[in-house]
Amino acid sequence: MGDFMSIVLNSSGGGSVSIVEPTTASNFTQTLPASTGTVMVSGNMPAFSAYNSTTQSISNATDTKITYDTELFDTNSNFASSRFTPTVAGYYQIIASVRDGTGGVSGQLISYIYLNGGNNKFCVLPLSGAVGTTTVCSALMYMNGSTDFLEHYVRQSSGVSMNISASPNTTFFSGVLVRAA
Amino acid sequence: MLYDKIMTLYPELTQQDFITVITLQNDSDGKGDYIAKWEHPTLPRPTDEELA
Repeated sequence: MGDFMSIVLNSSGGGSVSIVEPTTASNFTQTLPASTGTVMVSGNMPAFSAYNSTTQSISNATDTKITYDTELFDTNSNFASSRFTPTVAGYYQIIASVRDGTGGVSGQLISYIYLNGGNNKFCVLPLSGAVGTTTVCSALMYMNGSTDFLEHYVRQSSGVSMNISASPNTTFFSGVLVRAA
Repeated sequence: MLYDKIMTLYPELTQQDFITVITLQNDSDGKGDYIAKWEHPTLPRPTDEELA
């Protein structure tokens, strides 16, 4: 262990902790943010996943907000009323999945990620005619950490009303901060 | 269903119209389906009375 290096945590006495490079390695670089940066740790990196526990009927040709009444997790309490409003600015990986729970119809199943009340990203898949067509929309999106919010909408063009599945495995809305602003 | 009422008024509308120039929306807030966008080049937006 000739190259063994150590990291020392020093309390400032004010409740904060600093990381100091070993003095025996003058070329060792500390890569934490400079004085204006923010260190992201598990406690302040929002992540959420929610699903609807009851079947939801979707009118034909109508963009309909999916009601998410059950949270699998919501680490920063940023998900409420089927809406994700992160309080940390940055880039979020969002996944919005919806599954046809009716079957026997043709047309399209569209999964929309709405940003601030308007369609921002969408993914389209033809309805197969059998139960189970699942449209998954994934996008990397910037959120300002204060007013920006996301919702999951769905549209189907079967010509009649149809149900979407109520299952955490198929119809869900999730996201995680991957890089702070 | 709002879509059916509109199609009764304007049977010439197509599914494509509901993608490009007309948007029906439901915010799952208990208020039901509504017309969020109507930009059809020739057909006027239906009135509330026509949709009642």
